Amino acid sequence: MAVGAVLALAACGGTPGDQAGAATGGKLAVVATTPEVADFVRTIGADEVAVTQIIKPNVDPHDYEPTPADLQAIGAAKVVVKNGVGLEKWLDQTIESAGFDGSVVDSSQGVALRQGDPGDEEMADGDPHIWHNPVNAKIMVSNIEKGLAAADPGHAQTFAKNLAAYSSQLDQLDSANQAAWAKVPVDQRKLVTNHDAFGYYVDRYQLDFVGSVIPSMDTSAELSARQLQNLVAKIKATGTRAIFTESSLPPKTAEAIAQQAGVQVVGGENALYGDSLGAPGTPQGTYLGAEQHNTETLVAALGG
Amino acid sequence: MFEAPFMVRAFAELALLALICGPVSVFVFARRLSFVADALTHTVFPGVVIGFAAAGAEGIFGGALVAGVLTAVALTLLTRAGLLSDDAATAVVLTAMFSVGVALVSRRSSYTSDLTTFLFGRILTVTPRQLAETAVLAVVILALVAVGARAWIFRAFDPTGSAAAGFRTTWLDLWLNLVVALVVVAAVRAVGTVLVIALLVVPAAAARTVTDRLPAMAALGTVLTLLAGYAGLWVSWTASIDYGVRLTSATAVVLILVLAYAVLLPVGRLRAKTVGRAKTVGQAR
Amino acid sequence: MADTDTALRYASAALGYRGRAVLTDVDFALRGGRTLALVGPNGAGKSTLIKSVLGLAEVVGGAVTVLGRPVAQARGLAAYVPQVDSLDADFPVSAADVVLMGRYRRIGWWRPTGRADRQAALAALDRVGLADRARVRFGLLSGGQRQRVLVARAIAAESRLLLLDEPLNGVDATSQAAILRALGELTAAGAALLISTHDLGLAARIADQVCLLNGRQWAAGTPAEVLTGELLRRAYGGHAVDLPDGRTVLVEP
Repeated sequence: MAVGAVLALAACGGTPGDQAGAATGGKLAVVATTPEVADFVRTIGADEVAVTQIIKPNVDPHDYEPTPADLQAIGAAKVVVKNGVGLEKWLDQTIESAGFDGSVVDSSQGVALRQGDPGDEEMADGDPHIWHNPVNAKIMVSNIEKGLAAADPGHAQTFAKNLAAYSSQLDQLDSANQAAWAKVPVDQRKLVTNHDAFGYYVDRYQLDFVGSVIPSMDTSAELSARQLQNLVAKIKATGTRAIFTESSLPPKTAEAIAQQAGVQVVGGENALYGDSLGAPGTPQGTYLGAEQHNTETLVAALGG
Repeated sequence: MFEAPFMVRAFAELALLALICGPVSVFVFARRLSFVADALTHTVFPGVVIGFAAAGAEGIFGGALVAGVLTAVALTLLTRAGLLSDDAATAVVLTAMFSVGVALVSRRSSYTSDLTTFLFGRILTVTPRQLAETAVLAVVILALVAVGARAWIFRAFDPTGSAAAGFRTTWLDLWLNLVVALVVVAAVRAVGTVLVIALLVVPAAAARTVTDRLPAMAALGTVLTLLAGYAGLWVSWTASIDYGVRLTSATAVVLILVLAYAVLLPVGRLRAKTVGRAKTVGQAR
Repeated sequence: MADTDTALRYASAALGYRGRAVLTDVDFALRGGRTLALVGPNGAGKSTLIKSVLGLAEVVGGAVTVLGRPVAQARGLAAYVPQVDSLDADFPVSAADVVLMGRYRRIGWWRPTGRADRQAALAALDRVGLADRARVRFGLLSGGQRQRVLVARAIAAESRLLLLDEPLNGVDATSQAAILRALGELTAAGAALLISTHDLGLAARIADQVCLLNGRQWAAGTPAEVLTGELLRRAYGGHAVDLPDGRTVLVEP
């Protein structure tokens, strides 16, 4: 009987319908998952949106647990914007639990996906780090703009204007990158990073991906002894000058390899932004700033 | 807090767990099965991983169930056959199964998030269907407990006497181990395999400090867990909404439960002293 | 001698564990209303014999009959009184709870205890003089009182055969008297008692029959027949012995 009472209580927990559709202070309530996607939404939506970013900087997006505040925000939001490509596997159940009944925008729609390591199970959907190629970023913001306009047609013009401005900034980023890499001989563009997050960047700017310190997409996986040996041998064989760690990952493993292979470790403050952006408020806290930093750091270490 | 349906479901899940963990923790306590219970929480892990790999989130339940039942049987048989002492056998099975689980889970690529889900649960994303599954399991568990309670107490108190009276020790042990395994399965989705041991041990231990009677221990254990559930949810809700501080709900619940135990300990000491005095007075016979 | 009257019979039995005998040549018959004392040094096999009645030790050779049935089919028929030290004093049960456990065998494991059972438990407690202690936690009673509770548990079981393992060990005088009184009532009503003890004086006082054990059965008969200096010397060989007349003697092998 007690069990029945508990179930009845759970069943009549209120309908989510009355919560969604309420914009916060007149602004469109949007939930964005990753820092990159959130940055895009804030840029396109500007003053017309109130953005709740679920994954904070330096937090692994694979490894996420929703807090009550997140769930409440999602329940009250009209639009949820995700990166897609299987990066946010936890999102569906989270959305369901929160009682969300708005629209979900998949920023990756229309992006040409690259297949990652074929042995990697997570790559079943493709490599999710699509944003490192500015061309893909343009597609992403375009999808976001469509989603926002559909949810808030009254401000569609503003969104379109912001999209146009930002797209040209993305074009500029791409050109700047091309120019920077033009100065580095092709055979010196060898990349060893903390984890295999830069596939799209490598393809775009014709880098050579020697290997990653962490073989799978997951940031907690450790190298086996043989994998370590192979990587060191490869590094030595290809004559790469530096290996790069990322901001959201501990640098100790990278340092160990650098020592064995006799190369420079670029990390700490100069760490690359692979999964995340920098601290909010800093230049690297935005997509443009972080990508710019990445290119500068890479070119400096490999080009000299 | 309860305007949010997901919080209501979270509390409902915790309430169901409180209902089963109150009584079951009493038997874990009486039979000094804390280590076995802990082992079961570890051995359920590979089942959880396999279930998840096979059928996603829905498969966790079935996987845990199979692993739990298998372990209960294995542990009972191993100790019965006297192949190893109780503790040694338990430790072997525990570490073996857990390592299998870790090995399995690390072959998956997005394993950290899966790992934390298994280890610490996801109480805020409990679905109505999961709630129903827990409810069914609760009914089954309580029925099994009702039938076995008397025999378990007898066996715990006087193993030789109960065996002499015709109670089959091995079957009783297997039965209790199975019930504990079922509780672990019921709780694993909500609070994870690491924290469920707290629900299996602390309620009875806390209740024991203030009462001498087993039925009262079970009831008090349930009430304490309910209160800890409510308070834990409230704390993590307030921390998150009002202060932007992340605090997993399951952790909060367990911490408060342990706090309750810590608070009751000195109360129990005080009681023991007064009762002790009464004992010497009434000893005149 | 009708077999229904014999509560316990050992016919050239060898008893042990995992197929190996630790006690051999056991041969005696215990009838209703009689008391048999098992005596012998530590490790002689007294507890093995008691366990064999309970089905907790194997009958490796010969035959054992309990209340008219082969021992294998007699599980739970005899009532057992263990030593009180073997039980956990902290366990949260009351005296009445413990005595009620004696009724489980009759009720079966699935039926709830009824009023009749609770009344029988109280009556049993009264027989050992502890009716007013029914609700007290078992562990809070004195050692002697706890032993009395265990005797009450056996009384509540309403069996024709009781097995007692050193029932007066470390028990205060009041409790001893209460226990002996209760045991006397039981035998008067026709129950058979098997008591293991190291106290030869007690055996001489209360037993109708004595069985002397040490690895095997050395003798079985009346106290006068068994508790002789000669037999004791041979059976005990090297152990300290409490003689019936109160002296303690160390017997050289």
